[in-house]
Amino acid sequence: MDRTSKELTEKNRAGASTADEPAVPQTVFLDDDQPFEKPASEFVPGPFYKAADERIPEVAESSLDGVTAGSSDLAVDRRDFMRLFSASALFGASACIRRPEETAIPYVNQPIDQIPGVPTYYATTCGDCSAGCGVVIKTREGRPVKVEGSPEHPINQGSTCATGQATLQGLYHPERRKAPQVKIGERFHDAAWDETFDALASRVSAASKVAIFTGGSTGHRLEFYRKFLKHIGSSEDQLYVYEPNGLMSSISKAHEIAFGASGMPRADLRSAELIVGIGSDFLDIGTSSCFHTKGFSASHSFQRGKMGRFVQFESGMSQTGARSDDRYPIAPGDELGVALLLVKSLLANSSSKGSAGERSEMKRVLDSYKGYIVAAESRVGVSSAELDKVAADLITKKSVVMCGGTAIDENATMLQVAAIMANTLIGAYGKTLFFDRGWMTAPTTNRGIKEFIEEAGDIDLVIVIDSNPIFTVPQAFGIDKVFEKIPQVISIQNQNTETDRYATVRLPGHHYLESWGDEQPVAGFWTVRQPAVRALANSRQSEDILLWVAGAMKKPMGFADYRTYLMQRWKNIHKTLGNKVDFDTFWRAVLRRGFVGKLEKRNVRSFANVRGKIAPSDTPFKSGLKLVSPLDVRLQDGRGADKPVLQEAGDSMTTITWDSWVAINPNTAKKLGFRRNDLLKVEGSGGSVEVALYPMPGMHPDAVYIHRGNGHAEGVSRVTDGFGVNPLGIFSKSVDSQTGQPVTSGQTVKLIATGKRYRLAAMQKHNDIANRSDVIKKVTLASAVANAGKRKNLDDVPDLYPKLKESPDYRWGLSVDLTSCTGCSACMVACATENNIPQVGRQQILMGREMHWIRLDRYFAGDVDNPEVTYQPVMCQHCNHAPCEAVCPVYATAHDPEGMNGQTYNRCVGTRYCANACPYKVRRFNWFTHKWNVISKTKETNRNPRALNPDVTVRTRGVMEKCSFCVQRIRDAKHNAIERGEKVRDGEIRTACEQVCPANAITFGNLKDGRSRISRNRSDNRSFLMLNADASHGHYGIKTLPNVNYLAEVTHKESAINKKHHGGSSKPSGDHGAKKSSTDTGHQG
Amino acid sequence: MTEKWTKTASDVNDSILANLSNPHPMFYVAWAMSGLCVLLGIGCWVYQTTVGMGTAGMNSPVYWGVYITNFVFWVGIGHAGTLISAILFLFRAKWRNTVARAAEAMTIFAVITAGLFPLIHVGRLWLAPYWMAPLPNTNNLWVNFRSPLIWDIFAISTYLTVSLLFWYMGMVPDLASIRDRVKGFKRLVYGLLSFGWRGTAKQWHHYEAGYGFLAALATPLVLSVHSVVSWDFAMSLQPGWHTTIFPPYFVAGAILSGCSMVFTLLVPIRKMFRFEEFITVEHLDSCLKLTLLTSSIVAYAYGVEFFIAWYSGNEQEWALFKSRAIGPYCMYFWTMVFCNCVFPLLWWSKRIRRNIPISMVIAILVNVGMWFERYNIVLSSLVEDFVPGSWGHYEPSWIEMGITVGSFGWFFFWFFIFCKFFPIVSMSEIKLIMPKPLSRAEQK
Repeated sequence: MDRTSKELTEKNRAGASTADEPAVPQTVFLDDDQPFEKPASEFVPGPFYKAADERIPEVAESSLDGVTAGSSDLAVDRRDFMRLFSASALFGASACIRRPEETAIPYVNQPIDQIPGVPTYYATTCGDCSAGCGVVIKTREGRPVKVEGSPEHPINQGSTCATGQATLQGLYHPERRKAPQVKIGERFHDAAWDETFDALASRVSAASKVAIFTGGSTGHRLEFYRKFLKHIGSSEDQLYVYEPNGLMSSISKAHEIAFGASGMPRADLRSAELIVGIGSDFLDIGTSSCFHTKGFSASHSFQRGKMGRFVQFESGMSQTGARSDDRYPIAPGDELGVALLLVKSLLANSSSKGSAGERSEMKRVLDSYKGYIVAAESRVGVSSAELDKVAADLITKKSVVMCGGTAIDENATMLQVAAIMANTLIGAYGKTLFFDRGWMTAPTTNRGIKEFIEEAGDIDLVIVIDSNPIFTVPQAFGIDKVFEKIPQVISIQNQNTETDRYATVRLPGHHYLESWGDEQPVAGFWTVRQPAVRALANSRQSEDILLWVAGAMKKPMGFADYRTYLMQRWKNIHKTLGNKVDFDTFWRAVLRRGFVGKLEKRNVRSFANVRGKIAPSDTPFKSGLKLVSPLDVRLQDGRGADKPVLQEAGDSMTTITWDSWVAINPNTAKKLGFRRNDLLKVEGSGGSVEVALYPMPGMHPDAVYIHRGNGHAEGVSRVTDGFGVNPLGIFSKSVDSQTGQPVTSGQTVKLIATGKRYRLAAMQKHNDIANRSDVIKKVTLASAVANAGKRKNLDDVPDLYPKLKESPDYRWGLSVDLTSCTGCSACMVACATENNIPQVGRQQILMGREMHWIRLDRYFAGDVDNPEVTYQPVMCQHCNHAPCEAVCPVYATAHDPEGMNGQTYNRCVGTRYCANACPYKVRRFNWFTHKWNVISKTKETNRNPRALNPDVTVRTRGVMEKCSFCVQRIRDAKHNAIERGEKVRDGEIRTACEQVCPANAITFGNLKDGRSRISRNRSDNRSFLMLNADASHGHYGIKTLPNVNYLAEVTHKESAINKKHHGGSSKPSGDHGAKKSSTDTGHQG
Repeated sequence: MTEKWTKTASDVNDSILANLSNPHPMFYVAWAMSGLCVLLGIGCWVYQTTVGMGTAGMNSPVYWGVYITNFVFWVGIGHAGTLISAILFLFRAKWRNTVARAAEAMTIFAVITAGLFPLIHVGRLWLAPYWMAPLPNTNNLWVNFRSPLIWDIFAISTYLTVSLLFWYMGMVPDLASIRDRVKGFKRLVYGLLSFGWRGTAKQWHHYEAGYGFLAALATPLVLSVHSVVSWDFAMSLQPGWHTTIFPPYFVAGAILSGCSMVFTLLVPIRKMFRFEEFITVEHLDSCLKLTLLTSSIVAYAYGVEFFIAWYSGNEQEWALFKSRAIGPYCMYFWTMVFCNCVFPLLWWSKRIRRNIPISMVIAILVNVGMWFERYNIVLSSLVEDFVPGSWGHYEPSWIEMGITVGSFGWFFFWFFIFCKFFPIVSMSEIKLIMPKPLSRAEQK
């Protein structure tokens, strides 16, 4: 890597290259960091490859442009040339700076499928959690620039969660390891891959007991690891799978106990009329958040005039609970009590389903829990009459009971057994829950962390793959000592982890965007993973590493690489599916589409023989404050913590960024004498942490919530240094005895004041609607149904101003459905990725300078102990009477003929008058120039130029920016439409926020097209314009006439904010204050 | 005027011009201190320009802060000067003659100071002055004439131009007096500046006509310029800003702050330059009566604003006014009310009016109150406006405070230069109001 550019130039000029002198690509981006790109000669990794082509046929390279073709380890490949080209172009442009002269060499033979400027899409499967959502990677000039949900994929149906949207910051993370490191003596030495394989081979051969420790997966990966272990002489049992999301293993174990078959049922929420959740967080993370959100949104968004009901019992205030219609706060640990009481009510109800045998088994189970149930009855705070009513509804309606969240307690498996009993009694299996047909594969196995800790004493060598147990297992388990004792720890990761510190060999693993693989999220349904980019960081795929280690041990497994192995396994799938075409065509078709499958069927016996397998827990119910630590929705178990875009998207319920916090009920806080931002010591039997307080309405008085995900050790990443706490240090060594999964809920804690204060960087400062009538609107279901057919014309507004020039074809509008939005903040991350929005870091967020073009306002209303929660995504409203346009002195913001308000970055001089005039405060100002090629010295952000969208400029300081309705996508779509000779079709343009939303809350389209979805939404009776009062009653509010409309939230009961307005004395009198009509759309004066 | 003037016409020239060559030593100290403040301000501004606007404390939603407050504050101060020198001239208020020159100078320098702030607060200051002016360009782009900031540019440049001309024209006879006394290079400069003034009757005739004409031209500016500045706020739709009372409210406030500033300036000048016999306590008394009048108008305006906010039934407007009074930034509101409306009530008493030290304290408090009025207006409407999810907070940063201090330094720096090189009291005009010289008989 020490060639000068001059040598390179000369060599290229000469037009020939010698076989032993690979050309070295220039790096122009990272100054103070090592370059990612390695010469292609080093890229061809092991002794088993023939040519670079062979490895990734889809990305077929043309050979060696501009250089005579020679042997395969000749250097400069297409990507390097592209880089050279852009580097040279840059140099040419900066003529005033002295740089060595470069020549630009264009393609002689343009690679197939690569037109500069036109993106290429690759279908793959997201690997940021084990749900197995299908994604499509948009690549430009060989570089992934956007992750989009795969529209036809049944799991996520075109959406992704916030974590998936932030993938690129993981792919391009500058802190990815650049070279294998082998510990010799006390120090680590960088090594080349060849020597590493030899070193590994000798170590593995020397070890008598080899184990593999990895995270959850539903694909062929785990089977491959078992095969490897067996092949090298270890046992298949030595594969330990640990999934920090405790829900999967408990559900799977419970079904194994109850039905004798493992796996998780597939919950089809689309048609569910009633969902009862007990501690459930299926909209936060659950087992598959995108899948469940899509289903929930279909049944719960007042589509087709109907809206299902959702009753939630929970201890904390979750996004799932926010969408519930009836919510009961219960103490942490009482989930099982409520579930058993519900089962009791169901059994008592004569119309409940289930065979006689099943019912009697359930009775026996309940009997064995009699004492527990009696104690729970007096404690949970939900009367048996209410539970009876819920039970009756569950039986008569098409319903489902979902229990458990990512934080589990000792009774997690029993809770799932109770859920199984409830669902059997309401007849959910076969109607809304499917366990015999297309059930969801559990990503976990029966050998997890408990077995690993027990057996680690015997293990000589463990290979830790894409897992970080030092951080994700509570400290009380002594996991660090466990790893210390293992003589050889091989750590294969694609990001820096705490586990690396206990490793003897650290290997850079592929990011999932560089990998081959697959997942089987639903039995019989396979989703495939193919690389969207060549390895950027001198990494290797973990499975390939194992293969080549076996090869180096002189015990080759018979496959050149994991891709070959995969293709062989897929031949079986091909046969099972009975596909008529030959395998190669099939394989390419699957790669192109990303998935294939047929729901698998099996016979499942009935609920039986449970009592013997699961005994009542002997852990007494603990009173007092109890800690619950669910996974953070964005950061998951901690893997997302080094991605600045996720840190800055903030937790949507608290809007806290770049930090951990402890949430307790506000009344509890007051009783204990704590205020917001007080630094508290949270002490449990395992340890304590110091963390600042955020009083959270809706929490049970005894609940203490600290989300996992932050609190990484110092030095793991510059992004995570200096903030956050890991609550796993507080928990004791409890496990769920059935699965061995560490307990992350129900730990008794003490809250001790430290006397210090700590400012949490929360983006939203005011949490209720402050009696404003015009910001969010809610209607009752009855009223919405009664008015469902009525149409509204929000644009029929008298106007003294002359009409602006209008395009005859297009008027862009957007609608946001407040009923659907779950607050997942995927839209914020998608917008940031699509529009090159920088992250500004904690200090700037504290000052109030977040850059999000779309923000999620979250409003509490009603009772502090059980509030209504509404999320409102707010982006530029593209007002037709825009207050911002009139006041810009230099015309940097102007209305375009298609109805949008456009911001011209070049013209803006930064008077910020427009932002003051904006009533929605959606404009964002660049207070500093955010550099894109460094991790800043203040460790705040990783702004990586590779992840930039080439279609959108980056803004300098002093310039105002705001949501542009993804105008780059509009422009592209119009261009394509012109080429086709027609107008843009509805759905052809999807703004980034619309595309990614798992709840289908956002709709974008052409208002001039009468048949578009947006026209229908805008004329819906529920629709309203924010701050524009109600045009149909002749009140126009501030009359900004936005092109963005909101659909009022439909609630089963009358909302507290409506009651306040119609009865309250807080408003001055007007001529329309008191009347309340049932046909009103929540009209307030 | 019942006091006996013991000075003669030549005494006037002598004593006033004595300060030009022989100022009080404190003068140099004060000048140096203001120079230091200017350096501080320049340092802060350079830092802000190189690092970015983020060094100031502004954020979302408070995109304007201390800088716009300063801008409006300084423009407002200037208005009193023009009122005193132009409007009172047309009303033939004799007492104004002693203070007019200093007041008019104050206007000039206040406007110059104010004119800095649009550049300071703008995000890309290297483009702003060029693009905000309607200069010809190849893109055929006009500026946005609907924007109040453009109106500001026209209003303030007009105001500066007219005030400069008015001030300069009034000084010509005095400059000629100086020319007649000095030698060498100074004589050349003052000679050029005095335009060959000979003091002939015809010249005096033209002078009076021209002066009156410019006074008439400057008069409407007193009302219009600050109205235009108030439209920076009133033309947006923020609650608390979007109200028709703003033009008279701002103008009254401007005159209040200006008159207090005149008083604040005159008292030390009187002492330092030994002008007690020219700028008498009577004159100061009249100035304070004017200040009291405008303070009453301002108090009335506050009351009306509050009443209309409630009476209108507009939920956002009333919520904002409640927030001003009892919300998180209510201390600024109450400072404003007390300093602007309550303390000046003391000036109803003649004894207090004649008590220079107490009146000085009240006048400074009025200036403080007027600064906080602007701050309160800018801040309160921005921190809590329409959408509760967007509400925020604001603290000025050190850079902003440094630049504010620098602006005060800048103002005083130029004012002191004026004091050194130009007659602070208008010699020709004083002679107009002096009683006729005592006859030799009366002198004995």
